[in-house]
Amino acid sequence: MKMFNPSHTTIRILERIALTAGLFAFVLCILIMVNYYQLRRSDPLNTPGIKILVERLNSNPEDEQLKQQIRELDLLARKAFFTNRWQIKTGGYLLIFTIFVLVSSLKTIELIKPRLPVLPSDEKETFWNNRLLNRKWLSYSGIGLLVFALVFAFLSYRQLGKTLELSATNPAAAKGENTESVSPTANQTGAVSDSSSVSDTASATATAAWASWDELKQNFPGFRGPGGNGIAFQKNIPVQWDGKSGKNIKWKTAVPLTGYNSPVVWREKVFLSGANNSKREVYCYNALDGKLLWTTAIEKIPGSPAASPKVNSETGQAAPTVATNGNLVFAIFANGDIAALSMDGKISWSKNLGLPKNHYGHSSSLLVYQDLVIVQFDQSGNAAVLGLNSTNGEIAWKTSRDVKVSWSSPILVNTGSRFELILVAEPYMISYNPKTGKELWRIESISGEVGPSAAYADGIAYSVNDYSKLAAIKVGSNPTQLWESDEYLSDIPSPLATSSYLFLPTSYGTFVCYDAKDGTKYWEKELGSPTYASPVLVDGKVYQLDKKGVMHIIRPDKVFASIGEPQLGEGSVCTPAFSDGHIFIRGDRNLYCIGK
Amino acid sequence: MKQRIASLILFIFGVLTPYSYGIQRFPKPEFETGYVQPQTSMPSARLEFLAYLDVAVLVLALSIVSWMVLKKRSRTGVFWISMFSLAYFGFYREGCVCSIGSIQNVSLAIFDLSYAIPISVLAFFLIPLIYTLFFGRTFCAAVCPFGAMQDLVAFKPQPIGIRLNTILGILPYLYLGLSVLYAATGTDFIICRYDPFVGIFRLNASFGMFVFAGILLASGVFIARPYCRFLCPYGVILNWFSRFSRRHMSITPSNCIQCRLCENSCPYDAIDIPVQSKDPESKQARVKKLILISLIMPLMIVAGAYAGLILHEPLAGIHSKVKLAKQVLNPPKDTKLADTFEMQAFKSSGKPQAQVYQEALLVLNKYKQASMILGGFLGLVFSLLIAGRMLKKYNPDYTPNKGRCFSCGRCMDFCPIKPGS
Repeated sequence: MKMFNPSHTTIRILERIALTAGLFAFVLCILIMVNYYQLRRSDPLNTPGIKILVERLNSNPEDEQLKQQIRELDLLARKAFFTNRWQIKTGGYLLIFTIFVLVSSLKTIELIKPRLPVLPSDEKETFWNNRLLNRKWLSYSGIGLLVFALVFAFLSYRQLGKTLELSATNPAAAKGENTESVSPTANQTGAVSDSSSVSDTASATATAAWASWDELKQNFPGFRGPGGNGIAFQKNIPVQWDGKSGKNIKWKTAVPLTGYNSPVVWREKVFLSGANNSKREVYCYNALDGKLLWTTAIEKIPGSPAASPKVNSETGQAAPTVATNGNLVFAIFANGDIAALSMDGKISWSKNLGLPKNHYGHSSSLLVYQDLVIVQFDQSGNAAVLGLNSTNGEIAWKTSRDVKVSWSSPILVNTGSRFELILVAEPYMISYNPKTGKELWRIESISGEVGPSAAYADGIAYSVNDYSKLAAIKVGSNPTQLWESDEYLSDIPSPLATSSYLFLPTSYGTFVCYDAKDGTKYWEKELGSPTYASPVLVDGKVYQLDKKGVMHIIRPDKVFASIGEPQLGEGSVCTPAFSDGHIFIRGDRNLYCIGK
Repeated sequence: MKQRIASLILFIFGVLTPYSYGIQRFPKPEFETGYVQPQTSMPSARLEFLAYLDVAVLVLALSIVSWMVLKKRSRTGVFWISMFSLAYFGFYREGCVCSIGSIQNVSLAIFDLSYAIPISVLAFFLIPLIYTLFFGRTFCAAVCPFGAMQDLVAFKPQPIGIRLNTILGILPYLYLGLSVLYAATGTDFIICRYDPFVGIFRLNASFGMFVFAGILLASGVFIARPYCRFLCPYGVILNWFSRFSRRHMSITPSNCIQCRLCENSCPYDAIDIPVQSKDPESKQARVKKLILISLIMPLMIVAGAYAGLILHEPLAGIHSKVKLAKQVLNPPKDTKLADTFEMQAFKSSGKPQAQVYQEALLVLNKYKQASMILGGFLGLVFSLLIAGRMLKKYNPDYTPNKGRCFSCGRCMDFCPIKPGS
């Protein structure tokens, strides 16, 4: 008679449970995987059936029955999707439970029927062989890993570092371009914000080869900063220094030739130009130590007049500030010579635009916009504004201007719907499309020999000139004058606008603050010295340099508040330039870098 | 009766299999409306003291396991604690915080001073190491939920051969090096990202990770604890510490009688068998080899460092800044591929390209050094492992290999000598 063995029977039962659970788990796994595959393929928001129905609805938008049908189908598709997800989740729980049953059964079997020791074969003889094998295979693994690393490195060799380095130092040559989105405006406290959502569609083109607006903002690419509007975006700007004692003067270096143009900064390079009656030169300094990196003479340009024009001593032969797009530096002189230089000083192209008929001397600074260099060429009788191709100097567009000779510079602003180029000269403030040169609007707002450039903030442009008036113009297709004032006027320095305030320096040394919207005068301040330099709003403060070299640092507010009046110890008529933590000032003889 | 129960369970499973799939496969269309959007709610943060509770549970579990292994010599006790750890640290705590992942937090804290490592994470890194220094790898025995899960399924462990064992044994060093590299450079926490078991604990992971976990567990039936032995980076550190453990578990509670019953008991090949036969190699030959390896060692380190250097760009490829720079530099022609979240964020940020390139360059420079150190470390590991296998070994008894032994206690049950006998 067969003896009943409880352990044996229990083991058999457990084995069957384990087998069943194992099979069930296997089937569940397959089903979950199928469901997962279905879920990945399903896209309830783009069901082909619904798409067809929607197309039919487009041709018959009033068909209520069709709308209902679409809704029902949509609901069904969504339900199917979420049901699928529910199935996977529930299946997961079921699978865990099943595996728990499987493992529990097998563990119980182990408990009931423990593994018995098995005497091994005589391994002692193989111990030393094993060690030898071990060493051998360790060596093979090491060599294999090394070979794999070398082969992988060879196959994946892309010189990424070098490419990035090249692209980082030459961003304009990079293949892509980030979306530009803004024009600078300054809010009530003077903090600069980019509030416009308008994108510069041209610059959004993936293959553009010009500096983006953000790259311009990170640098100080021209007269009065990016766009020439007197607003800079650098941080940690010093407020204390002293030229005599050398406090916070990082370096100071003599500039070979005179020029009333202002410094321009791109990364670690500072650019200036200088000229006399026989020479015209462009200089590049190392922003870190003031070392003159290169000097390039602008000479032997076809069409250039044999003799330099007679100019006013306060204008000189090199009054226009250079401009850069990070790839090339552009310089123009009183004789109409214009040149583009690479960042290491090699002339890329040069030409003569014709001798400007300008009795004080040409002084309008250059401006870069995408792949163009903008030249305001206001002269007696044949004024024009030109867009030159930055890479070869060819005229991309030229627009004649029925204005008198002027000494102001163009500004580039984003009015919320487009970029506009705003120029002032008697008798108009005129806006152009910077890409095509097409006139957008004009308004009579100014008269006389116009020296100050326009200012812009929050939809209002400002023009000012001595013996004329200060006018606030609401820009747009039908520009209107919002307010005007003739109490304080400027003939050289340009105004500075924020969304709340208009700051007006005068060449005789009075600094005035107006309400930007209605022209209410908040305060006026005698600076104690004439002022030719234009103010710049940076790091939440207004920096206004006077002719004696005293920097008036003012908090933009309804009440006058001086933050400091550090002295350079040398006179200056130039507008300062900025980089993070540094100010660059061209004195009468020297170029200064202020910073710690 | 029992047969009936088994048949009933079989019937239930059999019926459920098609039903569980079919009933949900074709849900009845429902067109009810009036759905009310639920209010958005934010889950409240976990109470801070619970983190310290986790540490307390860790200490308690380690203490009990160490006691079970060293004093009680109870494999059953170890098993039940491992079940508790699986339930608490695995399913309740969902695999986080875990000592394995804490390597990354510690690495980041060392190399990035702005990163403040949570005390509980530091405790999870240090406490198992301290216990290991005293009692061997009792953490692996029953406190680590990953180990517990794999131990549970190790039903038919088979020896995998010395070749495969040697080759796969290199992987944990490689994984440790890479995880430290990526954590220290602020790139990624790859241990967490590619954690195979956390998806099971949370019932939430990518399909690929579920498959990876499935493969590990399925292979774990035959190759015991594959993750612990051939991947776990924390295991490398525990291995180092355990070699110096003051009181490691022993197979026999008394003197070994060399009965050989325990020789094949370890599913992890962690028992050192006695070596009594003479080394076939002469002393001179071994000395020569040792001199050779001590000369080759610097070369291996240099070769490793060089391999790291030339691989620094591919290694840095997963860093978000390098990835973005590559995308900006060479946008994919397929617009769908080009329109990644990273590219969208970059475009909307208005950040200039040059800045992206500069940032990527800084990362690459950091990787140059870090990859060289990684390569050098691997070169050193190889040379030390080879040198270790040249040293003369005196091993009169069957003993657990202090470095590799997980202190699971299986071998103790195979020893015929019982405590007090």
